Order: sequence, then C-alpha cells, then structure tokens
Amino acid sequence: MMREYFDNVAGQLAAKIAAQPELPHARRRFALETARLGQRLFSATDAVAWCGVPVPFDLLRAMDVHSCFIEFVGAMMASAGAAGAMLQTAETAGYFTDSCAYHRAVLGAALNNLMPVPDFLIGATTPCAGGLAALENLARHFRKDLFVLHFPYDADERSARSLAAQLVEMTQFVAAHTGRPLDPDRLRAAVEKTNAARALMIEVYDLARRKPSPLRSNDLKDFGIVMPLFFGSDAALEIAQAWKDELTGRLAAPAGPPERLRLLWIQNRVQFKNPLIAMFEDEYRAKIVADELNDIPWGPIDPDEPYLGLARRMLTIPLHGALPRRIERLVRLAREYQADGAVNPCHWGCRQGTGAKGLIQRALRDADIPVINLEVDCIDPRNFAEGQLRTRLEAFFEMLG
Amino acid sequence: MTDRPRIGFACSYTPLPVIDAAGFLPHRLLPTGDAPAQSGALLHDNLCPHVLRILDRALAGEFPPLAGVVVMNSCDAMRRLADAWRTTRPADRLIVLDLPMAPSAQLTADFREELTRLVDFLVAAGGVRPSDDALAESVATYQELASGLDLLRDRARRGVLPGGWAKLQEINNQSVTQPVGATLAAIGAILAEAEAPDGAARGAPIYLIGNVLPEPEALALFAECGARLAGEDLCTGARQHALLDFDGPGDALDCFARAWLARTPCARTFDAAAPGAVARLIAEKAKACGARGVVAHVMKFCDPYLARLPYIQDELQRQNLPLLTLMGDCGGGALGQFRTRLEAFVEMLGARS
Repeated sequence: MMREYFDNVAGQLAAKIAAQPELPHARRRFALETARLGQRLFSATDAVAWCGVPVPFDLLRAMDVHSCFIEFVGAMMASAGAAGAMLQTAETAGYFTDSCAYHRAVLGAALNNLMPVPDFLIGATTPCAGGLAALENLARHFRKDLFVLHFPYDADERSARSLAAQLVEMTQFVAAHTGRPLDPDRLRAAVEKTNAARALMIEVYDLARRKPSPLRSNDLKDFGIVMPLFFGSDAALEIAQAWKDELTGRLAAPAGPPERLRLLWIQNRVQFKNPLIAMFEDEYRAKIVADELNDIPWGPIDPDEPYLGLARRMLTIPLHGALPRRIERLVRLAREYQADGAVNPCHWGCRQGTGAKGLIQRALRDADIPVINLEVDCIDPRNFAEGQLRTRLEAFFEMLG
Repeated sequence: MTDRPRIGFACSYTPLPVIDAAGFLPHRLLPTGDAPAQSGALLHDNLCPHVLRILDRALAGEFPPLAGVVVMNSCDAMRRLADAWRTTRPADRLIVLDLPMAPSAQLTADFREELTRLVDFLVAAGGVRPSDDALAESVATYQELASGLDLLRDRARRGVLPGGWAKLQEINNQSVTQPVGATLAAIGAILAEAEAPDGAARGAPIYLIGNVLPEPEALALFAECGARLAGEDLCTGARQHALLDFDGPGDALDCFARAWLARTPCARTFDAAAPGAVARLIAEKAKACGARGVVAHVMKFCDPYLARLPYIQDELQRQNLPLLTLMGDCGGGALGQFRTRLEAFVEMLGARS
C-alpha cells in the first residue's frame, strides 16, 4: 500500500516537472526525491536501515543502504493527515501521551505494519533520549540488530575522533549485515557530492538572506533536516541547484506583497496542515525567512579523512551539546537574516529542543530578539488550539510593529 | 572529614569514589523539600520533575556551598539541568561528564578519558590529584558502604530492620550527603543490634523499580498499604552504591572505568546488542526476590522509562507479574494518590494468591 502511494506521488511529480522543463521546480524536486526515498525504503529488495537523525546517510548510501531517520516518517504521516491513527495505536499499546509524537507515530506505524522491516537499525544518543528509545523499541519489535553511536557532549576534536572511531565500527556493522564491505572509492565519491551539495546549499541560504527575501515561508520547510538524507547523491545537487535557480529568478523578478516582518523559526515546523503560516503571510505580511535547522556550520569534508570529517559535521547538529552554542547560533541566524523576531514552537514531549524554552527566550531577549513560544505538538493535531495560538500571535505581531 | 568541600551531583552514575579521592564530599542534589517552583521560567514544564525540583532548590539557595557540580550526560533532562545551572549560577564550577550508553571497548576508553577530565576539574576546584593508592582506598570505602547497605537491605527485605525500608532510605540519603565514615558508623551501629521485627504488615511481596524516590515516607507507604517490599531497583536506592569488580589490567582509572560501566543498567543505559533486555532483567530480579507484583515509580516526562514501560509491562505479563505504574512529580502531593492505587494493587495481588 505504501509503495503504491509513493509510486503515485513520484509519478505525478515527475510528470509535472517534465511538463515544464524550463522551470526549476525546486519544491517539486525536493518532494519527488522524498517520494523516491519512500519507494526505495518500501522496495523490499534492497538493504534498509532505520536510523537516528544525525547518522551519516551519505556513508550509508556509499554502502548501498537505503536509510532514513524515523522522525521523518512521523512528519510524513502528519503531513498526510494520517498521524492520528498511528498515535492512537501507539497509545493503546501503552506509549504515553507525554512522550514525543514523532516517535509515537512511528511506533504506531510499526505496530500497524506500515513500516518496512529494516535489515538493521542505527541509533544515536543525540538529539534526544526519546529517539534512541524509540529505535530500541523498533529493534525489539522487528527483531533486528541495533548499532548505537554515542555522541560525546562537547563538540571538540577529541569528541570528533571518538565519533570517527565509532563510524569505523558502524561501517563494519553495516558490512556484516549487507555482506558488502565499504568501497573507499565510493565513499570518496559520496563525500565529494556532499561537499558540492553543501556549497550549493550555502548559496541558497545566502539568497534567502536577501532583503526582501525571495523565499515564501514554507519554501524551505524541513529543507535542512531532510537534505542530509540525499547527501552523497546527484539528487542533493539537483535539488540545491533548483533552489538556487528558483531564488535567483525570483530576485530578478520580484512578485507578491512586500514583506513587513521577517521571522526566524526555531527547531521543527508544525508538520500537519494548519492555518498559521497563511495567517503570518496574509494578515501580517510576516515571512519566515530563516529556520534554525537550515544552516551549514560545518566545513567541507576531507575525502582523504572522511570519517573525521563526517564526525565533525555530525557534532554540529543544532540540538546537540551545551545550550550556549545553540543560542550563539540562533543569535547569529537572527542577525544574518535580519529577523524581527523568532517563533519557538514548543513541541510537546520534546525535552531537547523545547526543554530549554525559558533559557532560550531569555538569551534571545538579551540579544534584542523577541521570541514567541507556541505550545503546540508538531505532529499531533488533536490538541491544536488555533484560537489561543492566533490570539498570542496577534499580540506578538502587534508588539513587533 | 566533615569540613571537606562538597561537590554536587544528581545521577547515581556519578563516580563518587573519584570525587572522594580528590578530597571532596560528594553531595547528592536530592529533589526533596518544598522550595518555591521557579524553574518553569527557565525550562519547560514537560521536563523531568527531578531536574526541575533540583533547580528550584538551587534557586532557593537550599543546597550547602558547593565547590563544583558534576552533571552526568545521561539524559536530556540532565543536559538541561547543566544549561540552567550555568545560566543561573554562573560562578559555580560545573562539568558535564559523558556517560557511554554501553561498555564497548571504544566507549570504555572514552569514559576513562572522561575520568581524567573529571580529575582535572576536581584539581581546578581545589582538590588533590588522587594517586592510584588513594583511589583504591576510596573505592574500598565505597565498596564497604555498598556491602553494608546490602546487609541493611536484606534485613529490610526480611522485615527485621526496625523502621523498615523508610529507615533504609534515610541511610541511603545520608550516604550521599554526609561523610561516608559517618554512614558506615550508622550502618555498623544498626547491624550491631539484634534483628527485630519491623512491625509492618507482611502483605503481598512487591518488587519496586524506577528512578528517583528519595522520600523515606514514600517507602513507608508500601507497608502502610499492606505491601511488603521484596526488593528495589531505584536510582536513589539499590543502584546508588553497587558492589563492583575493580580488578583487571591497566591503571586505577582503567579498572575504574570498566567497573563503573558494568553497573546494573538503568533504563537510560542499555546494551544495543540486546534491545529490551532491561525488561527481562527486571522480571528475573522480581522472580528471584519472590515478588508477586512489580511497582514502577517513574518520574513524569522521563523518556528513557516512558518509552520502555510498554515492553517492560509485556514481559512482566508473560511472567505473570502484574505491574503498577506510579508517575512521580517530586512533590508530596502525589503520595495520597499513590496510597489509593497501591492499596488497590495490593488487594488485587492478595486476591490472586
């Protein structure tokens, strides 16, 4: 059933792109590659791994493993309006509503036999304890082996060396399960493609920073968190290039109402359909120009030392490590994008991203960046308090002037 | 001994003998008392009450002067505690110490490096760099403490410790806030007395698991509800001080790292090679101590436990062991609710026998 769904989506998107070959189709290319990933995961012929967010998918790609972080499945379910049934299944099975709905939705999908059975799983101790616990649950459910990457707290060279050594162990674990050892030339090629995609993504973000920004609020929704799934492939290059072309074109021929307020979105977007973004744009001409997760703070990876380079990149994920580093990044993004304020969707059940909400608000306030905390669940629409959120946002926008 | 400067800590994985050997008194930041709730202004309310309550106490100035704080990188809540502590008490020395998920060779070596970093931190806080002999002496002292507590636990289990499990919890709390010598003396004095019935009801035997439950009155509640604790596996109980094998190759810190990671795992520390093994371990321990049911006392919003309770329940059901889950909030108010639920659980166990 899922395979058919992804086949249909991919087919429709490919047809639309082919019908107007002169257009960049950036968002469609992004959605197409996402659907293709779904096709590969549900192909039942190739090696599949369910993973944690910061796992190096380019390395797995070089080993012919189709892989994906489990939160992506929760997000897909929510955007398709299908999360409710999954959450209900998980809750009936005893998973608490106080836990993260990304993970509950995935566990529900697994219990409903809607997740492909993986060949193995790879977890990570970052960004959250809940994600790793969900992967352990899935490993138990599917009766498959689990490998865990332990992320040291500090993002220094000692930590990078430790993580690099673990990546070598992970490669051996993968090879033992696929029967195919890593070909160093393929890893080199994957790393070079990742570096090329990185360079293009930096250009895309540079364009997005222009004032007025050529972006619409939802253009780069989930971009920075999902693109790593395509790292090491030509698809990542095509998507990034399409965005570069699309934004360049928009800057050359501006359209739409003038922007009045520029916003920084902290952490994840709300994944199910909701009226908030339309309200931002239509009623207040407020535009999300920056996302915390759309950032490239890591340098190019040395193809001669891929494990160390990958480890350094992994340690830069925003939700890892001490809070001051995260705040420094948020302030930098707010400055770079000339944001008038920041929106923090405090995803219920997230101890990592949301846990420090007061500390974040305080630090950004000290940096003259107003923040609004929205009490939402980014996956579960059942408690979405639109009226309350609208009232708070109205007050926030009025305060921003 | 009593005028030693104190080092605060909040997780039972904290390497207390290393802190002791460096000349400090480890002081557990217990989430007790009724300090006003202020932590909500810094951290989200959906965070572990253990951490929020510790922060409340810190903000209220309830802890004694601390030469430093050691936070284990054990879970999201502990990381947030470090963030909030650094923000609100910037003058305090604080170290976040990595705690590997499992004892692989690579991660054990990393943990050994972390212990070196801890020693450097303690020296910078005014302590001494412990020699191998000094560390061995501290390890031996803490092993004596673990052994003494085991003997008390055995008496409590058999119902011959005056004051029962509540008394044991008082000693447990003393062992992490007072000099070890004083606790050893207290344990010695109790053990020197003849065993005497604790006077509590000899109801259905229960195995208690979970994380943080430091209030002696909470432990007393089991007997008041007609339950008999046959054993426990709590961060603030049996998991705080463990009998470990510190022998093996390498220097003192090598041996310490290996031994420390071989402790009985909590929900947070699991073996990736055996997903779900914690459930089997709990069932085995419950059976071994003759329990007819299991009570899980888990902090609200504790992801490591919340995510694992469903399969723990499955495993216990397979072993014909009913499970009662009590969600703790580090506030005395919950005890009243616990009483009602415990009484019903004990009644149900009695009806099954």
